[in-house]
Amino acid sequence: MTSKASHIAPLAWQIGTIAALLALWQWSALTHPAPYLPRLENIAAGYVRLWHGDLLYSAIIPSLYRLAIGFAIAVIAGSVIGLALGYLRGLEPWTRPVLEYLRFIPAVAILPAALLLFGPTDTMRIFVIAFGSVFPVLLAAIDGARRVDLTLIDVARVNGLSVVERLVRVILPAALPSIFAGVRIALSIALVMMVISELIAADNGLGYYILRSQRLFQTANVYAGVLTIGTIGLTLTLALLAVENHVLAWHRGWRGLSNAGRTA
Amino acid sequence: MPAGQHEDRGSDMSDSILIMDSVSKAYSASAPILKGVSFKQEPGEFLAVVGPSGCGKTTMLRCIASLMQPDEGAVLHRGLQFDNPPPWLSIVFQDYNRSLFPWLSVRQNVAFGLRDLRSADRDERVRNALIAVHLEHAADLYPWQLSGGMQQRCALARSIVVQPSLLLLDEPFASVDAQTRIDLQDMVMEICKTMSLSALLVTHDIDEAVFMADKVVVLSTRPARVVEEITIDLPRPRDQLVTKESPEFLRLRHHVYTLVRQQAKTNAVETLTERL
Repeated sequence: MTSKASHIAPLAWQIGTIAALLALWQWSALTHPAPYLPRLENIAAGYVRLWHGDLLYSAIIPSLYRLAIGFAIAVIAGSVIGLALGYLRGLEPWTRPVLEYLRFIPAVAILPAALLLFGPTDTMRIFVIAFGSVFPVLLAAIDGARRVDLTLIDVARVNGLSVVERLVRVILPAALPSIFAGVRIALSIALVMMVISELIAADNGLGYYILRSQRLFQTANVYAGVLTIGTIGLTLTLALLAVENHVLAWHRGWRGLSNAGRTA
Repeated sequence: MPAGQHEDRGSDMSDSILIMDSVSKAYSASAPILKGVSFKQEPGEFLAVVGPSGCGKTTMLRCIASLMQPDEGAVLHRGLQFDNPPPWLSIVFQDYNRSLFPWLSVRQNVAFGLRDLRSADRDERVRNALIAVHLEHAADLYPWQLSGGMQQRCALARSIVVQPSLLLLDEPFASVDAQTRIDLQDMVMEICKTMSLSALLVTHDIDEAVFMADKVVVLSTRPARVVEEITIDLPRPRDQLVTKESPEFLRLRHHVYTLVRQQAKTNAVETLTERL
């Protein structure tokens, strides 16, 4: 299935589908003029405006800043705490019930509490993003650390590695495939929380831009904002996959080989 | 047991690479694994430990490596006790596909235990270890790209690169095919000779034990104790055909085999008596 034709055909279909959807939208907008159905060129103009000049600094940059900080906190804190909890099994009986309970709280539900706690600030929004996206990373890291082969830990001990060295040189790399799976889920949650946190008591950011455009009946700008969030989500996901493919090249080969062994 | 108690047993005690002094270990009161295991290993000696399967050989090895502490008795190296896995000791584990780091290349796996060294020295030692196990051409491959025998050679290189005084081998040839096993046996004996290394081989393969070792320690069924120590004075270098066909080899093999079989039978009778 690696022949060129098998790759080109689906790509042509993908482009075709997108073109068809856009054509359908434009046809609807032209035949049924309505405020909620702006024409494509207006949406495109709004989209381009968002990425240039003032709007870039008042909408996109603030959103990306909060997303970056909140997501980074989630990934780092989730990995570090998760690896420690997963490796130091003695801690698990104390932490497990709390984690199992917290993970079922939708991050949206803590938004009012976060607003009370931090006020309508960047800190509040970053907190909500981090809170929402930390659990997939944390649980994946715990799981990854617990599944590290004990023989590898014996090898590390025989070679005189301290507990911290074992965590960094053995547990972390062994758990990385699991952590990356958690990080992918966390990224989509972080995007959701970024938008939602900017719908409340905000004066900048993409969420705020969409909300304000809606209140001003600038429908084309609403859709331009939505498409911008989609662009950011897609770009970040592709970047994450590129990093993952680079860092986990060994894992694909290793897993691919053991899968091949199983089917043989 | 305080170290002072061992001093009056003669000055040669402090030269021994390994002394197992009445080592006992139990996971619970009703499940003793080792019961007063005692033996001694001199520098340069190749020692093999055999016993019925499940008799506690791996537990004994973990006690020796300090991956586990014995409940009673002491493990001594040159007359001294130790609490953590010591730098003068390394292990080759049975499961090569579980003991190599899949995210490190062969070279990085071998270099894993080398620290506090200048990178030039480290590279030199890794290269020599890889040459010793004939893996220098595969240095940049990953373990999962190698055959089973090559993976176990990689694990062997990682163990000898730290220049240990004692090499522990935990059934290292149990997971490879017969031809590879023979090649690995010859390779390990060659390496031990050139590096003047003491080796302690735990195995369930009696032929292997008699063929490779200077001394075979036979363990009883669980809880394990030493049944007999047999000196193997077959001439070296040993040859897979010549040595294994010699009358002396066959006599020793017969003797060890009988001992292990007796253990298995005794165990069956004891279990039966207990149940009755």
